[in-house]
Amino acid sequence: MKRTLRQFTGRRPPVLIDPELLAGPGLLDELSGLRARVPHLTGSLVATTDGLVVAHDTRGLEPSGVAALTAAALGVGARLAEATGQGEFRELLTRGELGYTATYAAGSFVVLTLLAGPDANIGRLHLEARRAGRRIAELSDAVLARQDRD
Amino acid sequence: MANTETALKDVMSSIDGAIGVALVDYNSGMALGTLGGSAELDLNVAAAGNTDVVRAKVRAIELLNLKEAIEDILISLNTQYHLIRPLTGRSGKGLFLYLALDRSRANLAMARHQLKRIEAELEV
Repeated sequence: MKRTLRQFTGRRPPVLIDPELLAGPGLLDELSGLRARVPHLTGSLVATTDGLVVAHDTRGLEPSGVAALTAAALGVGARLAEATGQGEFRELLTRGELGYTATYAAGSFVVLTLLAGPDANIGRLHLEARRAGRRIAELSDAVLARQDRD
Repeated sequence: MANTETALKDVMSSIDGAIGVALVDYNSGMALGTLGGSAELDLNVAAAGNTDVVRAKVRAIELLNLKEAIEDILISLNTQYHLIRPLTGRSGKGLFLYLALDRSRANLAMARHQLKRIEAELEV
């Protein structure tokens, strides 16, 4: 089953996704693995494209607020990519004075958002996040496929 | 003076045994330009990985209180040499050249010499 992120630029997902269904030990393992592999990573979060938190590894931060903002930024990013003829949404990188916020597509209806300090190696961040995104996509698409069948 | 593209082409054509070359920003770990490479050698991955190598060495020099700069870093693998050369010019601050060589075809002394020349002429 190959659904694309284009769907959330206009259409809603066919079913409302329950974030609790997607959350599993596999996801948390992915997030703690990222923290171990990427120096200067300060937090990570998996959310649905509707802005609901699925799993997070953050400290001193309100994950639900970040997930909601991610969904809003994602909508704009996806429309921008499409309007300029660049196709489906892949990732979004914001650089602030004190660090980075990066959001990566992870399958059809799930995104991975990472927070990193100003000294982060962005090449490394992209590399690890894209790999983790593919694995998270597999995990969540499998859950959604099961849900579709039921 | 040569621009990035010309310099990378120069590396690949004038250095025997060159497999791939990248100009990398070690503040971000991203490559400004790459040339060559193969399925086994993804130069963007090499850029990110070797950024950590350069940063670690810079930190080690700091900890040792050495008032020195890195001229180049050589890593010898079983069948390859990897050569890292930070840029010295004002326009190249925070950048390094990364060169992968096939050990069986490369002349290390000549490769270092050529890379030094190309780096000196490079204007980013």
